[in-house]
Amino acid sequence: MVIYDWIILNKELIKIVYALIIVIICAMIVIKTDRLFRLSLHQGIRYFRNAFLFYGLAFLIRHIVLISFAGIVNYYSITKILFEFLMIMAGFFLFYSLLWKRFEVVDSNYSSSLLNPIIILFYILAFIISILDYLWNSFIFMFFSQIVLFEIISIISYLNYSKGKEINFLKFYFIAMILSFSAWILNAIVAFYLDWNKGVLMGIYIINIIVFLLFLYGIIKVTK
Amino acid sequence: MAKKRERLEVIRDILESIRSSRNIKPTRLLYASNLSPQMFKEYVNELIKKEFIKAHVDEKNRKTIFLTKKGNNFLEEYKIIENFIENFGL
Repeated sequence: MVIYDWIILNKELIKIVYALIIVIICAMIVIKTDRLFRLSLHQGIRYFRNAFLFYGLAFLIRHIVLISFAGIVNYYSITKILFEFLMIMAGFFLFYSLLWKRFEVVDSNYSSSLLNPIIILFYILAFIISILDYLWNSFIFMFFSQIVLFEIISIISYLNYSKGKEINFLKFYFIAMILSFSAWILNAIVAFYLDWNKGVLMGIYIINIIVFLLFLYGIIKVTK
Repeated sequence: MAKKRERLEVIRDILESIRSSRNIKPTRLLYASNLSPQMFKEYVNELIKKEFIKAHVDEKNRKTIFLTKKGNNFLEEYKIIENFIENFGL
């Protein structure tokens, strides 16, 4: 009970520290992958980098930047829409980084990875989902979309792992995706059935940090 | 049927052909790269633009292509990039 009381008392501080950790990990991943992309011009690396750029921006905006505007502007609505939009787009980028070869000619280069026809379709979807959640004052559309998305990503990463068992990080990638999938399910449960129970939320924060750390570990290991 | 080489593999092959002979005539490089003349031209122009290779024309108007420091660095990092793509299923 003492720990739970401490969590309740310091919940805003915990959120900021949590967001800072994620933002720092994302920044490190973006810097490392951007270098690889600039050398190779590989579209898969480009979409992967974008995923972590959007995750980093989502956490930066929700917990750090806009918190300074609390009370000044319509803090809640702006944060909610922007955060959801960026989180959903990040998921789409991660998903598309695994599948881009099926939709794009390998030798062709879109001049932009942020404004090409498929990504614009993702923007539209992400925008619709975040607006629906705003209008319903809920997170149901984001949770549902991310649960479905991460279920598909988990399946793809399992298939990649089973095709290339000798490749080290594919196993960790699959584990990271299963953890993300579980975190989104837990997020939905805690929102709809547990009235945002702070103890469970802490568990979700820890799972998310582990996922981001796993990616960072993989990138450092592979590129050292 | 042999698998079509990906863009990165083609670039690696071109750069490695240049590195192994220090400098190379365009015709020899075309044969070594196993590309169509049109594709070869596109790749070479791209690599010159990215400053991975440079073309040199001597006083007898003979053209040779050589690897720059940046191109050499790319070859060194190619293994890392290849590893990254494999490990993350990209």
